[in-house]
Amino acid sequence: MAKTTTITFFLVAMLALNSNVLAQDQAKKTDEHDHHDHSGHAMSEDKHDHSGHSMSQESGAAVDHAAEHGTVDDHGHDHDIDHSAHDTQATEHGDMHHHHHMDHDHIMDHEGTMIMGQNLDKLPSSCKSISEEVEITVRAGRKYSKNFPGTAFAFDKQQWNVKPCAKVTFHFINEDSIRHQFMMHGLPKYLYKYGMFHLEVTGPKTVSGTIIVPGTDDTFLVHCDISHHMEKGMKAQLVVGKGGEDIPSIPGLTPYNLTDRYEAENLPKASDKSINKTEKNLISIEMTEFSNLNLKNYGMMLIGVLIGLLSIPLFKKISFRRKSD
Amino acid sequence: MPNHFLNALLILCMMLLATISQAASKLPNTVKVDPAALTTEPMCDPKISPAWREAQEIEGVKIEASPGCSPDNPAWIAAAVKGTNNISMDTLMKTGLSPDAIIKTDDLDGDGDPDRIVIKLEIMELNGRSPDFPGILPTFDIAPGIQPGAWVFAPKTSGMSTENFESVRANPLLRLPSPVIRVEVGDIVQIVLENTHYFPHSIHLHGVDHPFSHGEHGGQDGVPQTSEVELMPGERRIYQFQARQPGTMFYHCHVQTHTHLSMGLAGMIVIEENRPNNWLQTLNIGAGHVRHPSIAVREQFDQEYDLHYHAMDKELGDIIQKYNDPRLIAREMNQRYDITDSSEDYFTLNGLSFPYTLRESLIIVEPDQKVKLRLLNSGGELIAVHTHGHHATITHYDGVEHNPAAQIMRDVFDMAPAQRLDLKLETVNDGKHSYGEGDWLIHDHREKGITTNGMAEGGSMSSIVYKSYLNGSGLPKVSHFGIDLSEYFTKEYYEKRYPIWQDLDEWASLGSPGEYEGLDPITQVSLLNALYGLLIGLFLYFVFAKRQYIQQCANAAVTRLKSPKGGNQ
Repeated sequence: MAKTTTITFFLVAMLALNSNVLAQDQAKKTDEHDHHDHSGHAMSEDKHDHSGHSMSQESGAAVDHAAEHGTVDDHGHDHDIDHSAHDTQATEHGDMHHHHHMDHDHIMDHEGTMIMGQNLDKLPSSCKSISEEVEITVRAGRKYSKNFPGTAFAFDKQQWNVKPCAKVTFHFINEDSIRHQFMMHGLPKYLYKYGMFHLEVTGPKTVSGTIIVPGTDDTFLVHCDISHHMEKGMKAQLVVGKGGEDIPSIPGLTPYNLTDRYEAENLPKASDKSINKTEKNLISIEMTEFSNLNLKNYGMMLIGVLIGLLSIPLFKKISFRRKSD
Repeated sequence: MPNHFLNALLILCMMLLATISQAASKLPNTVKVDPAALTTEPMCDPKISPAWREAQEIEGVKIEASPGCSPDNPAWIAAAVKGTNNISMDTLMKTGLSPDAIIKTDDLDGDGDPDRIVIKLEIMELNGRSPDFPGILPTFDIAPGIQPGAWVFAPKTSGMSTENFESVRANPLLRLPSPVIRVEVGDIVQIVLENTHYFPHSIHLHGVDHPFSHGEHGGQDGVPQTSEVELMPGERRIYQFQARQPGTMFYHCHVQTHTHLSMGLAGMIVIEENRPNNWLQTLNIGAGHVRHPSIAVREQFDQEYDLHYHAMDKELGDIIQKYNDPRLIAREMNQRYDITDSSEDYFTLNGLSFPYTLRESLIIVEPDQKVKLRLLNSGGELIAVHTHGHHATITHYDGVEHNPAAQIMRDVFDMAPAQRLDLKLETVNDGKHSYGEGDWLIHDHREKGITTNGMAEGGSMSSIVYKSYLNGSGLPKVSHFGIDLSEYFTKEYYEKRYPIWQDLDEWASLGSPGEYEGLDPITQVSLLNALYGLLIGLFLYFVFAKRQYIQQCANAAVTRLKSPKGGNQ
């Protein structure tokens, strides 16, 4: 009971927070406000944005919230706007300055949290209707690279599956204290500028955005484009339906196109060290070394015997000739 | 029948002999490289708008003219002066900076300029290996076709690391050198390092007045052996200071410094004197011309330039192009790379080598000007910078003013590694300060300093150019002297595939020699020897086959000789 009340409390707070964004935009560009007015998800993503910022610093609350979002999400709240939260939010962010860049496919706040190429309502030509509405939580951070030796950054999952024509909302939780991106490529260019959908946020913080995937089976590259984050592990794929061709070099999922060459190193071992300590062990070393040496000698001897056996016919021939001569 | 055969063979041999020995009398012809075979780049980067060169005002920030061919993006300067938190979204979008890259707030002393400065730096790799294709990315060329593996402190950016999805070229904010930082005495400065790289790093503020440790942020000398642990990938650290002394200083990574510094994690930091209403250009991205100098500099000088000299070892940079696995890179760099066996191959001025230095690191002057030059040597060896046509005065060593009565003038400025010099360059045509107008070279006089991986002309060479010697696109006007610089703007030149003197005269007397037509002398000699052998063999066979006939002949000859002799007797 207490839990549900806190959740509702948070939800109301989130709506209040995100409403100020809308209010600002309204003041700036009325035409674009229209666009967002009709879209429930424009608000929900801001909701997550701010929730992540205020909560995920120490607790995992933002994470919980994101997970529960699917069940509590209610489009009925869309117009339930509270304009009062603006000042509180500003102080919370430390400086009084806000950038909210808005055009149809580019939203950015004063900390560089970014949503680009979002699509809430435009159906791909291959779809007649939206097949399913899915919420996917994606976590990003150095700690997820732990499972993949030889990488430095990773997402928590390397593949997500959705149905063709699905409307997918990604909640991108950056758990590091640096910038990360959730960047998707290869989407239809008539719906997505450069065929891209892009979430970006400096952690620890969350940002959310929505797309509608095409109606054909396909596989899309997801990565972080910060220099060498993809190369060092932050790479995944979104599989629509049965999927298309796999994306290469996804950690633990698909083989690398180019692999490094590995060779064993002569590393110091604890076992070597303990052997050196006691005299008893020293003797055993000598013993083993001695036997090793003997093994080598025996081997050489064996080779000699074999050569001798093989060359018997030759000797025979020589001696016969001598006799015949 | 055998006679005919023998005759034919003999004739053939004679003919072969004649032809073979004839060819040896002439040396191979000169082969000229067709200019069409070269990948020629435009001398001036066409992506940079000429409108950027003009004096202008953006967001109320006065930006000086910068007539060179690749001036700084004026939006960068406006953002650096005002802070990314105090400019319009429109200007911010022209910079590519993150909205929180430079935050300026709180005029604490009430003198009209902000005193809390937050600068966010990320660490970016340039020209590193990809596991997906046999190339490198994001690419940054220090000279045509020269792409050394490098790491830089970069201002916090927004969006992609490359120009766009189709390109592998780095976003213009990700470049060598690490940006020049400018703050004022008394500013409360926070340099926030967000380690976006896959290795641990730190920042050491060499020469900057900073406390060894800070109450909130802990140790902050940047040294893992004394003040703090390494900052791991994905982590953030704040370095806070309030400098009491002005001067030209140095910041660099102090983790595995012997490799990380050379890789490019080194930049200039300038503490300016405190003046009222002193809005500083907090970052000079790419160093070079300071288009919004501080009030103190403007009091004494007409212009200011940041000149960051650096050097890199090719073998070190190659490691990140050879391996992708961070563990392998760490092993190669930390345990196997031996700096005592290394040599520097690339010498850069403001991150670039000649001829790219002509695009953005010219010192463009007019007669009777006073120009402030701030020099930093972040290379591993002593350098000796020579100013052609000028003697300049050394005013500061390592950020500290030299006794004005004892200041000296020189034309070679030796700088130990990590050393800084402030120079006063006066373009007074008196035969001492300046010999008059011209396109005067400024270069490291260790001769390897003018090479790029051993190929001259390259390295950190640039020019002090008088405006009258500048052409319409902001490059030195040299064509009226018959000089053509276009060959330098080809990657083939630095691949060492271009015979550099082929165009000095009409017939390319010092061009590339071709191969012998037909046979070269060595094969000729061996072929001749074989022929001689064949002839000798034939002769011996002939002798053997006809031995009875020869014997008869010989006998007959002997008897003939004997008989007249005998007759005579």
